[in-house]
Amino acid sequence: MPGNNLSHSNRIYYFVLFAQLWLFSPISLADARIGLVKTHQPIAYVIRQSVKQKLLLGAEIFQGDTIETDASGAVGIIFNDGAVLTLGSDSKLILDNFLFKPDERKVSFLTRVLKGSLVFVSGAIGRISPESVHFKTPTATLGLRGTKVLIDVQ
Amino acid sequence: MFIRSVFFTITCILVTGCSGTTVVLVPDPGGKVGQVSVSTPAGTTLLTKANESTQATKAEQAPSQPIVLSDKDIQDKFAATLSKEPTPPARFNLFYATGSIDVSAEGNAVIGNIVSAIKSRLSCDLSVIGHSDRVGDDVSNRGISLQRAENVAKALIHTGVPSHCLDVRYYGENDPAIPTDDNVPEARNRRVEVEIR
Repeated sequence: MPGNNLSHSNRIYYFVLFAQLWLFSPISLADARIGLVKTHQPIAYVIRQSVKQKLLLGAEIFQGDTIETDASGAVGIIFNDGAVLTLGSDSKLILDNFLFKPDERKVSFLTRVLKGSLVFVSGAIGRISPESVHFKTPTATLGLRGTKVLIDVQ
Repeated sequence: MFIRSVFFTITCILVTGCSGTTVVLVPDPGGKVGQVSVSTPAGTTLLTKANESTQATKAEQAPSQPIVLSDKDIQDKFAATLSKEPTPPARFNLFYATGSIDVSAEGNAVIGNIVSAIKSRLSCDLSVIGHSDRVGDDVSNRGISLQRAENVAKALIHTGVPSHCLDVRYYGENDPAIPTDDNVPEARNRRVEVEIR
């Protein structure tokens, strides 16, 4: 059957990819990337497993990452579910939880905003389960129902 | 009290250096306005209209009553961040006859549009997502939705889209565009979505 070639070669491809990730990276098999950096203005950083490094255009984003920008920095991320998050200058947030298994109806998205400015447009997680997209700030908790919000934390 | 709270909020937004969290609800790229609840231990404010805003100055105070900001107020506060927004994901749909897994003539035209969009965005980040309607049982619908998505993925790869740039997902009847009762045929749900990020 023609469909089987593709799925077979894909399976091999993913097996090799994940085997490489597992062997050569500190990130465990369970933690596939959750998004990619699509816009970038220096300097933006990611803190991952206590290691801080500069974030560049096209970089992969993982659950648990802390994203930070300096006075001139900004970064725009598109997540696997199609959500778009833009972080302005002098800002810091932590991607505490990103679960996107829509075929099992398991979805959630929790971001902690420590300071600064951000724009967020929700994606499939917000569409499949409107109660599942949350932001926490030092003073408040936000619950989103499929929408776009601007958040500023001083 | 209400007037004072409005006055305080406006002052706080116009004068830099006020503390706490400011939240503004705006229309999404499709023009739709959703809802956002802003809660502290002392209370909750619900934003439901375009450009409504609230402030949570302290955790021990309820967030302020909603006020509608002008476009200028929003630009003053968020222009720099808004200017860095990525292009929103582009989404395309291919539709199917009942039980069919083959890309139709119309579907082939959509594939042409998808390839153009991938090229113009220089994207190597897309999902091909198969769906069915609720005619037939759940297991066979998952199979049909997977085969639909795999056939679209194959067509995209055939036109030169690198296979590592796309992932294939299938939801069977579990993520309808139009919710229906079981065993109801619905053409708008027999689809493959392609999301280009």
